[in-house]
Amino acid sequence: MSIFEQLKKYKYIIPIITNADRDVKRIILKSFRLKKKFFYPQGEYKADVKNLINCMLCLKMCRFDCNSLQGAKTERVAPAYKSLIGYYLSVGKIDPSKEENKDFINLMYECCNCENCKIWCPFDFSVVSLLETVRDDINDKGLTPNYIKEQIEKLNKTHTIEDTNIFKTYEEKVIANVESDGNDDVFYYIGCETMKYPEVVKGNIEILKKAGIKFSTNLDKRWCCGAPLFNTRHLDLAKEYAKQNIDLITGSGAKLVVTDCPGCADTLLNRYEKIGFKSKVKVIHILQLFKQLIEENKLILKNQIPEEFKNVVYHDPCLMSRNLNVISEPREVLKKIPGLNLLEPICNEKYTHCCGYSGTLHWANNDLAVKISQNRVNELIETGANIIVTACPLCELGLEKGIEENNKKKIKIIDLTELIAKVI
Amino acid sequence: MTLEKFDLIYKDNRCKIKDKEKILSKLKAILGEENVSTKEIDLIAYSKDSTLITLIWRIQGKLAALPDFITWPENNDQIVQTLKLANEEKIPVIPYGEGSGVVGGAIPVYGGIIIDMKKFNKVLEINDKDLTVTVQTGINGMNLERYLNAKGYTCGHIPQSIYMSSVGGWIAHRAAGQFSTKYGKIEDIVLGLEVILPQGEIIELKTIIRAATGPQFDKLFIGGEGTLGIVTKATLKIWPSPEKRELISFAFPTIEDSLEAIRNILRNQIYPAVIRIYDASETVRHFPQVKEAKDKVMAVFVCEGNERLVNLEGIITREKCEDNNGVNCGEEPVEHWFETRFRVTETSLIPPYKIVIDTIEVSVMWEHAAELYHLVLDSVKKVKGILYITAHASHFYPNGVGFYFSFAGVATGGKSNFEFYQECWDVIMDGCVKAGGSIAHHHGIGINRARWMEKEWGKALRSLIDIKNLLDPNNILNPGKTYFPPEKGGAK
Ligand SMILES: Cc1cc2nc3c(=O)[nH]c(=O)nc-3n(C[C@H](O)[C@H](O)[C@H](O)COP(=O)(O)OP(=O)(O)OC[C@H]3O[C@@H](n4cnc5c(N)ncnc54)[C@H](O)[C@@H]3O)c2cc1C
Ligand code: SF4
Ligand code: SF4
Repeated sequence: MSIFEQLKKYKYIIPIITNADRDVKRIILKSFRLKKKFFYPQGEYKADVKNLINCMLCLKMCRFDCNSLQGAKTERVAPAYKSLIGYYLSVGKIDPSKEENKDFINLMYECCNCENCKIWCPFDFSVVSLLETVRDDINDKGLTPNYIKEQIEKLNKTHTIEDTNIFKTYEEKVIANVESDGNDDVFYYIGCETMKYPEVVKGNIEILKKAGIKFSTNLDKRWCCGAPLFNTRHLDLAKEYAKQNIDLITGSGAKLVVTDCPGCADTLLNRYEKIGFKSKVKVIHILQLFKQLIEENKLILKNQIPEEFKNVVYHDPCLMSRNLNVISEPREVLKKIPGLNLLEPICNEKYTHCCGYSGTLHWANNDLAVKISQNRVNELIETGANIIVTACPLCELGLEKGIEENNKKKIKIIDLTELIAKVI
Repeated sequence: MTLEKFDLIYKDNRCKIKDKEKILSKLKAILGEENVSTKEIDLIAYSKDSTLITLIWRIQGKLAALPDFITWPENNDQIVQTLKLANEEKIPVIPYGEGSGVVGGAIPVYGGIIIDMKKFNKVLEINDKDLTVTVQTGINGMNLERYLNAKGYTCGHIPQSIYMSSVGGWIAHRAAGQFSTKYGKIEDIVLGLEVILPQGEIIELKTIIRAATGPQFDKLFIGGEGTLGIVTKATLKIWPSPEKRELISFAFPTIEDSLEAIRNILRNQIYPAVIRIYDASETVRHFPQVKEAKDKVMAVFVCEGNERLVNLEGIITREKCEDNNGVNCGEEPVEHWFETRFRVTETSLIPPYKIVIDTIEVSVMWEHAAELYHLVLDSVKKVKGILYITAHASHFYPNGVGFYFSFAGVATGGKSNFEFYQECWDVIMDGCVKAGGSIAHHHGIGINRARWMEKEWGKALRSLIDIKNLLDPNNILNPGKTYFPPEKGGAK
């Protein structure tokens, strides 16, 4: 709600207070004056206390759609409760430095980046964003949990969140690296996680080549986009990543960045800007390009889809549908695949549910991430589909963990690129 | 211990558990390691429901009450065994749905074992011919409605809290949805139940449309407030999604005019799904943009269902409003209501200023409807510290109406917030009883109204308590509520 809307909404209160009797007025004015003294932390802090309070006192309209709550089925991870604990940690009601309070600190990381709460919130809050401000204070106090520190160490060592720089594994995965000559049209920005799915990377490269696009991948010089640094609130380090990535892209001469990972797209587009970096080059998800190529007849989907890949349900990655607003493009591509039967789950498009693996949750509580994933897989296969198709490597990774044992043979999770590759 | 830093509001008469470790290991044996917790982070999470006074406590770092064990059963047997253990050890058991209750029903006033029903969340069957859905009662209301909508149905039960309440909570408190004039309250919607009695016996009250098989036993558990049994399964009526919706609104010069219009609509057997009237103070709050409604009583209607019927309902609704001095305000106010009906922000913004707020709903037959409204307003205005008292009515019947009062104020003259809060409650309850109303329309009794039960029930309360004692001789199921206020009882 904008300030203007808020003022309009609460205008009715003014005459009520002016007409109240003296005693009442005095008490209210005192509370107004002393609100900060009563309820805000002393000293320096970064936590967004005002909005943590708003959220923790809210009657929680978002809870039915909160992925961590619906996965865990316990009040502990309910959105407003996470804010309440964030508040108690901020004002010192719960002492964050005590070993016995580790659970409370941990809770600040038990959110995926799904932001389903934001859809329903009367304040437009995303709880994970509120919690990030508490994480700032946790870092400043030197209380960062070990599982977060480990990720930072890996990033410092390999520039990815893997034990080795995963981009450099291209040779063993038989992925063709395309060095830039400084004169490219397109930079194909491969996600760290996509490197775990060589077929997807290879498929994308093949499609780009077939369409006659001049592009590079520069895998020898690649770093992670830095998304984990934003989630864990290591923003100074994130600046180094932003600079490195923007320089690399700019150096390629490309006018367009296409990426296979919605997380990378969101980081390059939106998160860099928040720390003062803005890429001048346009960034899109690779499917947006494919849709255009199909329309221009530069990519022709000519073959019938094999029978076993016919019944498909599309899983909207949270970041893709909500942050990037890429909803129709993947569907339009899917509908152009000859013989494919596209099914839709109950919660789709902007209302999609999380795969469980975004944000810090899977480090803080992997069991819960798996449960969220199971919930989503069950929603997806309730449609009758045996193929779950998505457009995000992290979703693919997450959803794979959610397939229950008895379904492992029946259900396949693949990237949309792999489907395209089957029909060109 | 972090918990020691939190003041407890309900701290007297807590149950004494001699060997907590022993109980914990027994609970773990029953429910499995992952379905039991005594961690502080969980105990704090289940120390509250949505009773509005608890919001002030929350920001002050006080806890309403403190449970001893939290459990998340996955099947009936685990509940049965937990109840048996609780009876042996005389430990209170508190069923917990989504914690949206606003009368303290799920607050563990004497401590004990919380049974959180969230894992009972499956839709078991939709029967299209019978128009029923059978569910496990821990299912969240919106997740059920969303599922039904996707299949082309609605339950027609849309409380404002649908996003954050469970079917079990609806049944426990005899909830009412915004569309109640057409689809009924939850007691009109439930056709069958499975209940686990306090001593662990599972009973099924089978799904029937109507019967003459003795007293309606199922009614005992609809409104049972988690004190007579734990409802595990329910069969509810559903309807095909409506074909047409018509949105109507009128502004009336007085509350009496608006009540008369609606009484006459219903007398003609016209049932708009939604009927809501807002007194002049609420009209400025909710419809500041509607010029025709300035200083008036706003009424909004939604007619829905078969197109031809809806058309006719629209005609008669308008006619009766016009006959009673209503001024047609068109569709916009209803669209505005649809957009804003779940967007509650006051509960976040007001408590940090130490302003006490709450809402209280009551019901009354038509004869005394206007009288009750004025009596309550007049008497609350006399309470020292009161800032405002306003009302709307959102549940109407051919024979009467449910009013919904909202108040705000501050504790003056050395009173605590809680004392001021209870005083406001008492004044409203008193006005309601004096005007011949019933003290609760759909939020239930819980803690807040328990001290008014004798006035409401008269001698019949004795028989009700006898039934409670018969079913729950050790008084383990949700004690300290409904029949007596917390201070009158205690855990054995
Ligand atoms: C903003 C807001 C709006 C609201 N709007 C409405 C409204 O429009 N209409 C309305 O009727 N109410 C409304 N309420 C009140 C509240 O949502 C209802 O009372 C609801 O039915 C409670 O459900 P719950 O699952 O949250 O129950 P809880 O708060 O968890 O529990 C309520 C009671 O039910 C018992 N209980 C829970 N599950 C079971 C079970 N399976 N078996 C036996 N007992 C059980 C508990 O022990 C407790 O006594 C509103 C509340 C809020 C905060
Ligand atoms: S995110 Fe918004 S809707 Fe959800 S609990 Fe917080 S304030 Fe309420
Ligand atoms: S960001 Fe996602 S997991 Fe976190 S509170 Fe919001 S909906 Fe729940």
